[in-house]
Amino acid sequence: MNKLLHKRRDFIERSLLSALAFLKDATLSEECANRKGFLQSQDPRFKTISFLAFLVTAVSLKSAVSIGTLYGLCLLLAVFSRIPLKHFLTRTLLFIPLFSLCIVLPALFSIVTPGEPVWTFHVLGINGIITRPGVDGAILFVVRIATSVSLVVLLSLTTRHSELLKVLRIFGVPQLFVLTLSMCYRYLYLFATMVENIFTAVKSRVGVVSHHRHGQKVVAWNIANTWNRTTHISEEVYLAMLSRGYTGEPRHLSAFHATPKEWFWLLCAVIICAGLLYKGDTL
Amino acid sequence: MSDLIYEVKDVHFSWPGKFPALCGVDMTIRSGEKIAVIGANGTGKSTLLHLLDGLIFPHHGHVTAFGERLLEHSLFDEQAAHRFRRRVGLVFQNADIQLFCPSVREDIAFGPLQFGVTEEEVNRRIREVAQVLDIHHLLDRVPHQLSIGEKKRVAIASVLAIDPDVYLFDEPTAGLDPLTVRHIIDFMVNANRQGKTIITATHDLHIIGEIADTVYVFGRNKRIVRGGSAESVLNDRALLESNNLIHIHRHHHDGKEHVHQHLPLEQHD
Repeated sequence: MNKLLHKRRDFIERSLLSALAFLKDATLSEECANRKGFLQSQDPRFKTISFLAFLVTAVSLKSAVSIGTLYGLCLLLAVFSRIPLKHFLTRTLLFIPLFSLCIVLPALFSIVTPGEPVWTFHVLGINGIITRPGVDGAILFVVRIATSVSLVVLLSLTTRHSELLKVLRIFGVPQLFVLTLSMCYRYLYLFATMVENIFTAVKSRVGVVSHHRHGQKVVAWNIANTWNRTTHISEEVYLAMLSRGYTGEPRHLSAFHATPKEWFWLLCAVIICAGLLYKGDTL
Repeated sequence: MSDLIYEVKDVHFSWPGKFPALCGVDMTIRSGEKIAVIGANGTGKSTLLHLLDGLIFPHHGHVTAFGERLLEHSLFDEQAAHRFRRRVGLVFQNADIQLFCPSVREDIAFGPLQFGVTEEEVNRRIREVAQVLDIHHLLDRVPHQLSIGEKKRVAIASVLAIDPDVYLFDEPTAGLDPLTVRHIIDFMVNANRQGKTIITATHDLHIIGEIADTVYVFGRNKRIVRGGSAESVLNDRALLESNNLIHIHRHHHDGKEHVHQHLPLEQHD
């Protein structure tokens, strides 16, 4: 009983700290991107374009087998990029396809998708009929979601976030917007650490257990305090930018350099996509 | 005088909604000087450096830099702003503020690129400053992953890449390990030998002897209470004590308690 009360009282704090830990791990960790693997060695621009092509192909194909082939390629790329498969599959398959399965569940039944019955059952006086087109549609939907999510996760795991943001420039996103985004990303870690430190400081003064009402107050103070500090830091960062010559139009290094290897990879990606789009729906 | 870099005349400044930060400051700084501004916390040292860097402007009095009055509207002009900022570089106290780019390399490149330096030259400067400050292994790292000492060295590198005539250091050694402090002091001394003007705000008296020839002491009244040679200021115990710059230090020698004033190392017997 005491344990239950304790858990309830610290619910907000635990939720916030878990969210921050997840944020640091999922968003800010670049461990995989720093490994020496196949995709990590590719120019981020070419990598992004090729993955975009894979994504469009996955969305356009109407055959689950063809999309599955693309998924197989994605797993193969993950292996060659030294991404631990268990980590990759946990991040991609555990939640998102499960949620998509929940969404697609009604489409299995004859009420939504009429067609040849595969399985009929009787529950609480209601006849349920699962149809062949319903099953096929659900499989296609889930495989498509799983493949698309896996491709996006693989791209983000194998590319440093700062480089990924810079790739936005090739899609015509203004430099100022990219700079703002990259700075947001840069300071996320600082603020996440700041919030963690505030909670540790509060805990050191009031003890581990605090009443949930007090916990709510602490969170409110925390939000106000973080907001004030954020405003202060943003002003200071602006001064630091001014000090180094910023006058409103930021200039950055164009750090990407394409080699024949990148062009070859892009060619391969285009051939795979074209092949799947041309013959894929017949599989 | 042609070698006059800064002339600060009766400068008053208050941060919005706060108490006054500077109340009538006068000083002159010449090319190639090593100046230290010392004082307890909250005496206006950082505010003075911000004023000298043209980031804030006095409410009363004026600052003249390189023979021209430093005015807010004159720095609105991109060319005038670049002309001034190429010559003055500020190393902020909090390196997290100064390192706002996603990677160390881009942070070092930021300044020169804003001034229109070619990418080829910027890359050359990156290699050069990385060698001077021994940070080539950090170039592709993300700033938030660095230690405090590494961040400080990268912050200095980001200013060094601009190659300014005047370096403004705000508490350059605060919270750093002894070896990093040594590297930073060596850098400051070498820069001064090469003709750069060094202005440092600090309350670390141990480093003053090396980084300053002239010392200004800021008092609680937000004014300069004393200015003079480093030696004369550091030997004035009454002045340092009355301005919270030395304190009684209690420790053990050979099992016996030993009490003395905490002074710069060269004066500690």
